[in-house]
Amino acid sequence: MEGKEQKRHQHKHSGPKAEKKRKKQQKEHGVEQEQDERKKNPKAFTVRSAVRMARNFHRTQDIKTKKHHIPLVDRTPLEPPPVVVVVMGPPKVGKSTLIRCLIKNYTRQKLADICGPVTIVSGKKRRLTFIECNNDINTMIDLAKVADLVLMLIDASFGFEMETFEFLNICQVHGFPRIMGVLTHLDTFKNTKSLNKTKKRLKHRFWTEVYQGAKLFYLSGMVYGEYQMREVKNLGRFISVMKFRPLLWQSSHPYVVADRMEDLTDPEAIRLDPKCDRTVSLYGYLRGTFLKNKGQVHIPGVGDFSVEDISFIPDPCPLPETLKKRALNEKERLLYAPMAGVGGLVYDKDAVYIDMPGSHVKQQEEEVRPTAELVQSLMGTHTTLDAKMAASKVSLFTGSAALTPDDVQDNSVKQGPVESRVWDPETQRERRKAVFTEEEEDDNSEGSDEEESDQEDEEEMESAGEDDDDDDDDDDDDDEEEEDGDEGSKQQVGEEEKKSKMTAAPPTKRQKLEENGKEVKGGMEMPAFADSEDELEKSEDEEEDKEEDSEDEDEEEMKEEEEKKEKKKSSAPPDSGHCSEEEDDDDDDEDDDDDDEDDEEEEDDDGDDDDDDDDNDDEEEDESEKKQQVNIKTPALKPKKKEKEEKEEKMDAEDELEEEEAELGADTVGALQWKSNLAQKATEAFLKRQRSAPNLRKLVYGTVVEEEEDAQNKDDEELGGLFRVTRPEKNKKVRADAVDCSRFHPDAGHDWEDEEMLTSIRDCFVTGKWEGDKDAATLLKEDDEVYGDFEDLETGEVHKAMGDEAEEDDDDEDEEKEEEEAVVVKFDDDEAKKNKRLERKKRLKERFDAEYDDADATYFDDLKEEMQKQAELNRAEFEDMDDEARIQYEGFRPGMYVRLEIPGLPCEFVTNFDPHYPIILGALGASEGNIGYLQMRLKKHRWFNRILKTRDPLILSLGWRRFQTIPLYHIEDHNGRHRLLKYTPEHMHCGASIWGPITPQGTGFLAVQTVAGTQANFRIAATGVVLDLDKSVTVVKKLKLIGYPYKIYKNTCFVQGMFNTVLEVAKFEGASLRTVSGIKGQIKKALRTPPGAYRATFEDRVLMSDIVFLRSWYPVTVPQLYNPVTSLLLPVGQKDTWTGMRTVGQLKHDLGIRNHPNVDSLYKPVERQKRHFNPLHIPKELQKALPFKNKPKFHEAKGKTPRDLQRPAIIREPHEKKVAELLTALSTVYNYKNKKAHVEQREKHKDFLKQKEKQEEEKQRRLKEERKKVYRAMGQKEKKKLKSSLKGASKNE
Amino acid sequence: MAALSYDGCNFFRQRLILSTLSGKRVKIREIRSREDEPGLRDFEASFIRLLDKVTNGTRIEINQTGTVLFYQPGLLYGGSVEHECNLQRSIGYYLEGLLMLAPFMKNSLKAVLKGVTNDPTDPSVDLLKATAIPLMKKFGIDGEGLEIKVVKRGIAPHGGGEVHFSCPVRRTLKPVLLTDPGKIKRIRGTAYSVRVSPQMANRIVDSARSILNKLIPDIYIYTDHMKGASSGKSPGFGLVLVAETLNGTCLSAELSSTPQGRGDQMLPEELGKNCAKLLLEEIYRGGCVDSTNQSLALLYMTLGQQDVSKTLLGPLSPYTIEFLRHIRDFFQIMFKIETQTADEDQQKGGDKVLMTCVGAGYTNISKSIK
Repeated sequence: MEGKEQKRHQHKHSGPKAEKKRKKQQKEHGVEQEQDERKKNPKAFTVRSAVRMARNFHRTQDIKTKKHHIPLVDRTPLEPPPVVVVVMGPPKVGKSTLIRCLIKNYTRQKLADICGPVTIVSGKKRRLTFIECNNDINTMIDLAKVADLVLMLIDASFGFEMETFEFLNICQVHGFPRIMGVLTHLDTFKNTKSLNKTKKRLKHRFWTEVYQGAKLFYLSGMVYGEYQMREVKNLGRFISVMKFRPLLWQSSHPYVVADRMEDLTDPEAIRLDPKCDRTVSLYGYLRGTFLKNKGQVHIPGVGDFSVEDISFIPDPCPLPETLKKRALNEKERLLYAPMAGVGGLVYDKDAVYIDMPGSHVKQQEEEVRPTAELVQSLMGTHTTLDAKMAASKVSLFTGSAALTPDDVQDNSVKQGPVESRVWDPETQRERRKAVFTEEEEDDNSEGSDEEESDQEDEEEMESAGEDDDDDDDDDDDDDEEEEDGDEGSKQQVGEEEKKSKMTAAPPTKRQKLEENGKEVKGGMEMPAFADSEDELEKSEDEEEDKEEDSEDEDEEEMKEEEEKKEKKKSSAPPDSGHCSEEEDDDDDDEDDDDDDEDDEEEEDDDGDDDDDDDDNDDEEEDESEKKQQVNIKTPALKPKKKEKEEKEEKMDAEDELEEEEAELGADTVGALQWKSNLAQKATEAFLKRQRSAPNLRKLVYGTVVEEEEDAQNKDDEELGGLFRVTRPEKNKKVRADAVDCSRFHPDAGHDWEDEEMLTSIRDCFVTGKWEGDKDAATLLKEDDEVYGDFEDLETGEVHKAMGDEAEEDDDDEDEEKEEEEAVVVKFDDDEAKKNKRLERKKRLKERFDAEYDDADATYFDDLKEEMQKQAELNRAEFEDMDDEARIQYEGFRPGMYVRLEIPGLPCEFVTNFDPHYPIILGALGASEGNIGYLQMRLKKHRWFNRILKTRDPLILSLGWRRFQTIPLYHIEDHNGRHRLLKYTPEHMHCGASIWGPITPQGTGFLAVQTVAGTQANFRIAATGVVLDLDKSVTVVKKLKLIGYPYKIYKNTCFVQGMFNTVLEVAKFEGASLRTVSGIKGQIKKALRTPPGAYRATFEDRVLMSDIVFLRSWYPVTVPQLYNPVTSLLLPVGQKDTWTGMRTVGQLKHDLGIRNHPNVDSLYKPVERQKRHFNPLHIPKELQKALPFKNKPKFHEAKGKTPRDLQRPAIIREPHEKKVAELLTALSTVYNYKNKKAHVEQREKHKDFLKQKEKQEEEKQRRLKEERKKVYRAMGQKEKKKLKSSLKGASKNE
Repeated sequence: MAALSYDGCNFFRQRLILSTLSGKRVKIREIRSREDEPGLRDFEASFIRLLDKVTNGTRIEINQTGTVLFYQPGLLYGGSVEHECNLQRSIGYYLEGLLMLAPFMKNSLKAVLKGVTNDPTDPSVDLLKATAIPLMKKFGIDGEGLEIKVVKRGIAPHGGGEVHFSCPVRRTLKPVLLTDPGKIKRIRGTAYSVRVSPQMANRIVDSARSILNKLIPDIYIYTDHMKGASSGKSPGFGLVLVAETLNGTCLSAELSSTPQGRGDQMLPEELGKNCAKLLLEEIYRGGCVDSTNQSLALLYMTLGQQDVSKTLLGPLSPYTIEFLRHIRDFFQIMFKIETQTADEDQQKGGDKVLMTCVGAGYTNISKSIK
């Protein structure tokens, strides 16, 4: 290698590159030069024209501001979802080939069938999802809404096709994604010239459609059925570095492009009714923005559905974790396409095949059959064990829906603390018990299967030992709450729960759970609302525990509780502490601990002489008290004990004592584990106790109201099936019907007369003490130190500020002393001082910078900075939270891989599933699920070759939706009236009103007349934008009422035939009228007879033949048709055949109905008859009176000349004839000769003229020369003269 | 979409307002079903009527006894509205609702509300004027249109007051970052009296000052004695105090005299002192938002852009807590609630609560574009 000399790089000395470089260099120097010039010669650079200067300035400013976009808050997540690349083009243009090539380029894998979205990791920070778009207009519309980048394939040998333009127009309407053109079939050109010509032509056409300079890529030809490697690689690079702009609709709506679909419906239900509604889970990356749980989504082509459950699962196609390496290694080039069979499954019409991929194909969490599960779990090495466990599935019966831990978790999530209402006959009130279904489940399982539960206990023990005591505290909490409730009811509920759980959680699952006890435990902790992960909550719980520790006896306990309550009153103002006892129950949330305790207390107070039940309660409490004592010591044993407790609630106290002993024995087992970090625990506990704040989160969100339980209770109350016991329900009802007031009544405990209380708020006022960094005194001092004096470090001298000494005197002595000390002890703490000074200087500099920069900042910069700050805040706020907690606050982040469970989907969605059609789940915003009237601005597309008719159904694509509706077109008159139009204007915008889904204003839409099949013509009928939403419309149409005059007195006229009754007329009194001839008038008064006639006045006399009309406006109603296009539900292969309501024209055409128009309305050929005019008759008298000039003249026609006046004809003699002939011959000859001579003469003359000219020229030349000579001589003479005179002058001088 | 279902008439306004804003239908059952007089009260019916006036296309179904209400919201329309508020509750009851809805209307709202301006139960118009308006300005709802004007003062029980409220419309609200309430720089207030001796107001002022002067010298309390037509139908007096901080936070307290015929009358001196104490209590609670307006601030935070908003509040009132739950029901927004304990050396009152949320990305769908 060393022997081979590397050729050195030669810099270019000529050519455009070198030129550019030189210019650049010159420019660098030139700036200075220019400035120098300006300094040297300032006058040359002054303003020549103020107007020109102003114009120039304006122009530059215009250009500058044009570049500005309104700054938006950057909400892109840290790990963005894969970029959706839609590959679009007419059929047979090479879409699949291109995707295949690109996938091969990125992942080195071959994908046989492109089917559904294909997700790949394309780089260190980017993933791509390729979707092929077929030529169904439904697909084109749907994909245009979710695309980030469109690869628009164009067959260069054919040119542009209609689909391309249609797709471009669709894109324009729904926010314009990045579009890159790709020309294929370039190898069909044999001639380079024609190839170049075509390229140029296509490029310019493409530019006019997209934007000037839009990227158009050329794929020159195929090699072995694939595009050339180099070109594909280049294209791949372009894609991976492309930047995207946020689109309005996409960035404000979360959406998922589903890449996996599972049918979760109970197979038994399907067997019974094959057409039953299906529950389906859809998987995909969440894009757009945060998605909230329990929202509504629209699936284009299917309809609106509410999401039952959302959960996020580990990313099947994650980005590489470390970013050290330059390029991705083979293992990181992942490919995920479950619909295409790479995820492990191949979807066919009605069967699922498992694909066993090659060695480096990433394993996905697709395990349906046990065999596959085993193999795949062995092969998958990328994910960690727990990730895999989370993704694993178990199917209970063959063909049934597989269960994931998500499902298991979900169940537990949903059932946090469930409230069960129990009627307590003793206290005559309803008690609300929080039932933790997880525990119930555990109980039940324990009852049924002891061994398993034991195992589980052990598992939990271990896990608990690993975790710190927090978890256990939770359990304590649960315990308490459990105990609060009534037992009998608990059993009841428990039994029910058991039943449900038995179906939901079968033995196989249990095994699974055991395997990864820890994992499941983590899942169970997930519930956000109640199940106390919160630190605050823990703190409180623990506090209680500690307090309970100290109390040993019942009486003491009572006291303690009261004390506690009081304590809370002071410490926890938001709680019910301020209210009276009764109100306590109202305002407080059902599950709050305090409340429960209060309840207990009440109970204890009243129910001393109650029967066993109550006593039992008390006893239990005692027990729990004792146990908690123990629990503090043995945190690891908590879960076990809890379960035991529940199991043996009915047991005697003695038994329990034994139990305790046994547990204490077991205690020693886990002793080492809990001893390990005692000190730490102690400190933690202390800190938590310090924070006496109530757990607000639980207080606010910790309740789940269960309506069903309530209903059940009511049934129980029935007596003999006829009557119902009604009791005044104090507890709940008082709360529910309390006074609705936002006033927050003050705490009675505070006595503001007290000086101590006053001091507690003294610092809230400006007169109080300030914080260190804001205190005026300290700031002043700081400034003094910075500006006032400084110290020369080299010499050790202290310089004082100029006028500082006077101030210095005013300063405290201390400070002086300090300074003195500084001089003395300077060398000791030199370093520290230096640092301090540096810091201060830095701060000063920052302040200066801020001020300096601010002076130059524009509004735009400020705005940008503000947005930047907000973006940073958004990122930072929830960054250090774990995902489970984070989704509670934010919702699901874009970029997460989510699973959405949607119930109630029509069965056709599953049975007619075709992975070639994209499934998009577009979430709907607040009130976007409602329907109302929309007013929109609409323009017929200029390429659509017909105008649109009012009330003809039209298919609109608006928001996520495609639907058929009946629009009314209208135009706004000058006075704001919306006048109905029968047809859309041809080249103008008009208004359109439809009945449809509420969509935010400013959303674009497009309209097509039909989505079925392909047509030769351009399919997009109209485009527009939503202007206004309303629940009523104000479109009117013109209505002319016609009447006939039947009596006319001068300007007054009686009109009939316009109305039918007097009442009608009365309504129109004062309305303005007009006649056909143009006379205006007014309705005056109704007449009694004939009914409907009235008196009107006009500005002129009306003729009987005239027609009177009244112009009025009649409100039109918009037909309420909203028919979503359900194209995805159609059978495979017929998905592009959706037809909705037909237009009147189509109906007539299909049914063969022909309209018979009014004969009078038909056009007939115009026949014009010839007109005859009678002669003008002038009376004789008048004729006489007329001057001669105007008198009618009666000329007689000219007769024939009489024969005698006619001249005789000349007849020559033969001799004369000959003479005449000779004469003519001679004259002819003469004429000829003359002519010839004349020509000759002219020739000669021409020559002569030429000669003369020449001579003249010669003469002129000669003259010129002579003149030249003369002048020269003269000049010389003159010169001489001048010289001599100069000489003379100089000599003279 | 199934309607959200609630029991009982408590938090009646919250439910209807959030339903109107979110477009979700709501069904309220068992409204005072066990009471001697079951069903909706007049003032609630009046509130529904007011909602009907400011919306378009609202569907309201009430059963025979008035114990079940079904509410399907329409679009907020706004415009000029005149409403005769029921005398059982003061105008504040209605105005609180309108404040929440007003920025999201189609046309800017110009409401004329007639009825009781001041009563002991509800926050009075003066209080809302002093606290809610500055709060709204922080969310970007400002401009010349935003105003509450007390034209006539009507004291409970017979009312006769008139209030003009106007508010401009906004398409989106700004996210806020109200974490530092700042120090109180001054205290302002209004002592009003109608149909009683004008001296009452002066007596109130003196007594209130006697307490507050210990803490800050910059106190000015206006006396507002209305006469004749603008004095309503019943006699009464009261005091509203507002503490303004350097950062523009307004904390306030109010107290008004017992309505005629409903118990023992309070002396003006006593009222002034008690009101001053209430203000101190409010200051003790602290936060960047007054305790009456907590829910308003939280609503605006929820309806903001999809950005993080933070507000420091005093202890949450029960009303606010229920409001937070309702927000979760209607908008699926949960707040991060952090408690800030008071510093040992700083004497700044009780514990504060820092509320953080990501806005719902709400846009005013009623506002039309031209």
